[in-house]
Amino acid sequence: MTNGGGEGGSQRRELQGKRSISRGNDFAYAVIRMAAAQICESVEISSYQESQTREGLRFSSFQETALETLTDVVIQYIQNIGKTANFYANMAGRVEGNALDIVQALEDLGSGLGFDGAHDVDHCLADSGVVKDIIRYTGEAEEIPFVYSLPRFPFNRGKRPAPSFSEIGAEPPDEHIPIWLPAFPETKMSNGSEETNVDKIEGDVQSRENGPSLSSMQQSVDVDRLKVQKSMDQKDVQKPTEEPEPEGNPFLAAPLWVGEKNVSRVFPPSELTKEEIRTNHVPEKYMSKSHHIPALEAYALSDKINDKNRLAETEDGQKRDGGRTERALLRFKIGTRKASVCWTLNQCLEEKGWFQEDGYKREKKVEREEKRESIDADVK
Amino acid sequence: MNHGQQSGEAKHEDDAALTEFLASLMDYTPTIPDDLVEHYLAKSGFQCPDVRLIRLVAVATQKFVADVASDALQHCKARPAPVVKDKKQHKDKRLILTMEDLSKALREYGVNVKHPEYFADSPSTGMDPATRDE
Repeated sequence: MTNGGGEGGSQRRELQGKRSISRGNDFAYAVIRMAAAQICESVEISSYQESQTREGLRFSSFQETALETLTDVVIQYIQNIGKTANFYANMAGRVEGNALDIVQALEDLGSGLGFDGAHDVDHCLADSGVVKDIIRYTGEAEEIPFVYSLPRFPFNRGKRPAPSFSEIGAEPPDEHIPIWLPAFPETKMSNGSEETNVDKIEGDVQSRENGPSLSSMQQSVDVDRLKVQKSMDQKDVQKPTEEPEPEGNPFLAAPLWVGEKNVSRVFPPSELTKEEIRTNHVPEKYMSKSHHIPALEAYALSDKINDKNRLAETEDGQKRDGGRTERALLRFKIGTRKASVCWTLNQCLEEKGWFQEDGYKREKKVEREEKRESIDADVK
Repeated sequence: MNHGQQSGEAKHEDDAALTEFLASLMDYTPTIPDDLVEHYLAKSGFQCPDVRLIRLVAVATQKFVADVASDALQHCKARPAPVVKDKKQHKDKRLILTMEDLSKALREYGVNVKHPEYFADSPSTGMDPATRDE
């Protein structure tokens, strides 16, 4: 069937916008649309021409909006049957629907148009006129199977419940966590390989259309996932005691534990020339008080982006050969606007002169970078 | 006892038609796939593990659509044919499912589909320029 003309472009856009509200599931909608078109195509009325030959008139094409309207009506019809049948089932005190519930629902929906025996309220439901109409229809109409073969619908992906601690066999980290709760998710490193396994499993699942039922597929996926998780858990547990594997991706290797590898100590440089000083950094302060350095380095970690930028600039020009250590000295150039925060914290912690008379003025000045020298004066 | 048996048999006969039909439904494949019908039924709260009931709903829906389509076809055919030349008098008229016919057919089933005839850019579009207020 081909699409008939007669509809303007703006009209179609308008209706598409409206329909996107009511249409929730695109795939189901498209399938119903095709099924409705197939049924329309098969409808035929016989007519007698003057030459007394019987002709079967059929629809040769349809308007797009007409078909979409019909699809909406079909969806509403099915939902109405379901709602009414569920209503009748609940009235009878049942949760699951019955054949007679559906017959009653069909009677309700067909009562507008009427059917045989509608007037008879006490008749047996199984003998209802609606059922007879349907039986007659199936006897007369030709059987039209759906055009495409569909995979099992709706396709349930990724709804596997997380396995509990007891299923994995792992112990919950704390006492207050019961064992039947789902296990904690893995860390990023172990998740990388786990996800590839899960993707493979899902790929297998998708390739079979008429495979086993969804529950068995989910079970097999669950088992596989559990196996993967178990292996990951064991690996996690063993990590602190064993050395990391030398093979494999070095970027995915576990971080080193403290004391695991001998790292040369970084000595602070004896001289920090003024050339290296930026306008908003005062290194002399740190020379006088060496215990500031760890504190500052701790804050430096939060300014990683700026540090890395400056490290790239300064590292090349400041490598010192021989001397104290084999490693190149890295200088952290901290001194952006963000550092004002660490400055205030530093002041609060270290300087007791904060609450002096001058300290009140400095509280405002700390917010700006240019007034760093005045603080320096106060310190000295 | 006999009366009871007879009434029981009568009931059994009434049910027999339905049960036979449900059994025969497994041979008949409705156009609307089962999974889809089940999805929409579940969406409105109707749960049933029996496939035959799903097929019953699917067949009922198919019958509904067929009835609507046949009514629309009647309306379409009943419309006066456009003027054709004598030579092409026996040419088959191409029938198109239009919104007009569909809305007339659905009207009988209690579904009101009112379709606007055209869309205008502004309220004064298409009016006589002399009478238009500017």
